[in-house]
Amino acid sequence: MSAAVDTKVDLGGISLRNPVLTASGTFGYGTELAPFLDLTRIGGFVAKSLTPQPRIGNPPPRIAEAPAGMLNAISLENVGVEAFVRDKLPALPDGVTVIASVFGTEPAHYAEVCKRLAGVPRVAGVEVNASCPHVKAGGIEFGQDPRALAELVRTVKRATGQPVLVKLSPNVTSIAEMARVCEGEGADGLSLVNAVQAMDVDVARRRTVLRNGLGGLSGPAIRPIALRMVWQAAQAVSIPICGIGGIMTAEDAVKFLLCGAVAVQVGTANYLDPAAAGRIADGIAEYAAEQGFPRVIDLVGALESW
Amino acid sequence: MTSIPSQAAPALAIRADAEVVENRSEGGANHRLRLRVQGWPGSTPGQFVMLSPGSVGEVRRDDPLLPRPMAVYREHPAAGGAAEVEILYRVEGRGTALLTESAPGEAIRIVGPLGQPFPLAAAAARCLVVGGGTGVASLYGLVEALAAESRPEVLLGARSADDLMAHDDFAALGRPLVVTTEDGSLGETGLVTAPLERALARGDVDTVYSCGPTPMMRACAELAAAAGVRCFVSLENNMACGFGACLGCAAPRPAGDYALVCRDGPVFEASEIAWDGLP
Ligand SMILES: Cc1cc2nc3c(=O)[nH]c(=O)nc-3n(C[C@H](O)[C@H](O)[C@H](O)COP(=O)(O)OP(=O)(O)OC[C@H]3O[C@@H](n4cnc5c(N)ncnc54)[C@H](O)[C@@H]3O)c2cc1C
Ligand SMILES: Cc1cc2nc3c(=O)[nH]c(=O)nc-3n(C[C@H](O)[C@H](O)[C@H](O)COP(=O)(O)O)c2cc1C
Ligand code: FES
Repeated sequence: MSAAVDTKVDLGGISLRNPVLTASGTFGYGTELAPFLDLTRIGGFVAKSLTPQPRIGNPPPRIAEAPAGMLNAISLENVGVEAFVRDKLPALPDGVTVIASVFGTEPAHYAEVCKRLAGVPRVAGVEVNASCPHVKAGGIEFGQDPRALAELVRTVKRATGQPVLVKLSPNVTSIAEMARVCEGEGADGLSLVNAVQAMDVDVARRRTVLRNGLGGLSGPAIRPIALRMVWQAAQAVSIPICGIGGIMTAEDAVKFLLCGAVAVQVGTANYLDPAAAGRIADGIAEYAAEQGFPRVIDLVGALESW
Repeated sequence: MTSIPSQAAPALAIRADAEVVENRSEGGANHRLRLRVQGWPGSTPGQFVMLSPGSVGEVRRDDPLLPRPMAVYREHPAAGGAAEVEILYRVEGRGTALLTESAPGEAIRIVGPLGQPFPLAAAAARCLVVGGGTGVASLYGLVEALAAESRPEVLLGARSADDLMAHDDFAALGRPLVVTTEDGSLGETGLVTAPLERALARGDVDTVYSCGPTPMMRACAELAAAAGVRCFVSLENNMACGFGACLGCAAPRPAGDYALVCRDGPVFEASEIAWDGLP
């Protein structure tokens, strides 16, 4: 039944066999989940955010459970762009669509990573992490200040000819404004949202549960917020949007498509079920078939009005 | 020090919906769970699984969200090419409380076997196996696997007789066994480190294996180091994924960087850990 449905989508010049990607930081470098999921079955995967140099993360505790979600403050621990290109990419099976996530504490760092990735054939596009909720400098600052965001997108667009997705923070007053800034600077697409800035307290020890104090909330708890932001951004811009936030099932993913996302990323769900992304990709095609849509792309923005 | 022979690489992990065969209280907060798992590749002592109680396929359970790490207590072949995987667990909080509600015939998602197993000491080595709290569940397979010639002695500590896991199973293994309880309700009164100190003082121990609360493992590591004896610990950090994808289970190393407990451990040589930095 689902075989008849055309699942292909185009995410800002990155062609995907189906609209399901795995989210940055939740799927390692792609090989960690290889025993559980054939990566060529899903649209692709977004690798852990890369910095110019390898980076050591925060001291533990780095994670904690939260109501219907989790808090994390990993602090972008990564192998660095050089080791990614040299060791991690070649370890991936052929036919896997890879989007590299880039991060820096200033625009020049992002540009440096993008330049290193520019000629690498296995990289289908880059996602600019302008929104990490718990790193001391960089990330979220870019995602919260329209002028800094504009400068960042401009710098990255100059540094690479690859498709550029900008991953936005939900910790803003107007997501529409941020989306327009990115579109104005030539971003090829948007990914939203990153984790929601949050914290929790262990009353027995009278301490924050995370050593870092602040963390990022992810999982089902943030899904309605993410959905709202994807919908608002989709109203504001015409570049494609990749919806992220608490997607656990195909039904959740379909909600994002209906609100205007052309693709989705699965994050925290991978931890519970390392086969989640494949299950969700199959389920979206089944839903399209059941609802009489010959192409998954026809679901995008197909929200009926009351 | 006796050299540690290399072992075969652990089997690739699987994700499966396991069927609950039995799930019962052992008295107190301790429970025994038996799962039937199709396609189970077999595990090596020290490895663990991630269990998602109450969540199978598209049936959702958003809260508590994360799977819980549990040691493979023991395993054996079952009918139809499946394996039976046994877990001993203690009710600590919401996740393990939910686990008690899984009835025979129901399914639990299992991911595993995960992590690096205990390196087995050479047959000629003399070993001490020290367990406390839920850590006892990680050690049964090890004691079984250690060669009889290595004369493994087992030291188990608990708050009280009720809290002690798997006492009868360990007793049935026929190895020398010392039990300590803090309230004196079983065995020696006090901490398990007391018989450890006595055994180390004999001067004939080659290797110490330890799993339990962090302060207990740290004390074992320090006593072993003072005696010039190699010590392996199995850490019980909080985990989100269990397979190296979230980077949440970091344990600090002396060099200032981090090991991942799920991927590089949970078994570590005690000197590989910067104990002051563990939460
Ligand atoms: C590799 C490994 C193997 C383990 N094997 C076993 C086992 O065989 N049997 C067993 O009973 N337990 C085992 N544990 C510990 C078990 O995972 C925790 O007790 C469990 O996750 C607690 O979940 P909860 O929802 O009941 O408690 P929560 O509500 O999550 O927490 C209750 C309390 O338990 C503490 N806690 C939470 N997670 C852990 C953890 N991973 N380790 C220690 N304390 C924790 C919390 O800080 C809190 O104080 C193992 C842990 C690891 C990492
Ligand atoms: C442990 C963890 C690490 C993450 N690391 C990154 C990262 O390196 N870069 C990034 O852009 N997003 C990172 N994220 C955010 C996710 O990609 C995603 O935007 C967020 O978790 C919301 O989706 P979810 O609810 O499906 O998890 C991380 C999330 C988690 C839980
Ligand atoms: S628990 Fe996720 S990396 Fe170890």
